[in-house]
Amino acid sequence: MLPALLYLAVLGGLYALVYYLNHKTPVPEGCEEIIAACGSCTTTICGAHPSQQVKEIKNV
Amino acid sequence: MSNLFALFITAMVINNVVLTKFLGMCPLLGVSRKASSAIGMGTAVIFVIFGSSVFTYLLYYQILVPLKLEYMDLITFILVIAAFVQFVEMVLKKYSMGLYKALGIYLPLITTNCVVLYVTLVNIIEKFNFIEMCVYSIAVPAGFMLILYIFSTIRERLDTADVPVYFKGNPIALIVAALMAAIFTAFAGLV
Repeated sequence: MLPALLYLAVLGGLYALVYYLNHKTPVPEGCEEIIAACGSCTTTICGAHPSQQVKEIKNV
Repeated sequence: MSNLFALFITAMVINNVVLTKFLGMCPLLGVSRKASSAIGMGTAVIFVIFGSSVFTYLLYYQILVPLKLEYMDLITFILVIAAFVQFVEMVLKKYSMGLYKALGIYLPLITTNCVVLYVTLVNIIEKFNFIEMCVYSIAVPAGFMLILYIFSTIRERLDTADVPVYFKGNPIALIVAALMAAIFTAFAGLV
């Protein structure tokens, strides 16, 4: 049980670290406006849905 | 060698993951409006699937099996795929603006692509050796890219076609996908 929990903690920590580093890395100049034009479904919580991108632009 | 070739053709064309398993339908419908987007998405999928397959394969046989934690394969693979995509996006942002422009925008879409998880799990379930795993991990996304590209060229023509109003958009795209699935069954006797 303990090895499984330790393993899970290490893996989760690794993901959290990479996620944090990725979001801290600035987007290169000229790439800020690039978005993936995905409009296939009505899942509005998906990050690629146009409604999410509108929210992000408003927040900026 | 012929076995590897057969594995490649089977995974890429005969048992195409999109047309026979109906996996990856979300990017198939969402990023197939232009051929250029399809090529960008397909290239990113090949890169991510191959990279995450190698990572998960090594992790499974070098860590999970010796520690008798095989039952944690699913959560491991999900976390590794998500972390790998984040890592690749970070590296592209930092070191390759051109590649980031071409592929970077598709990376978040790949995290939710079930084909990636499917390939990593099949590599373990089928007990592939390392070479077979590499071949399979390239063949499946190559098949995905092939279908995505063909599908996008058809959709580009459909945009200018006189389609009945109720069939415009996703309905006609799904009909095209069904016809393509039927056509690809003709490859069944190839290998």
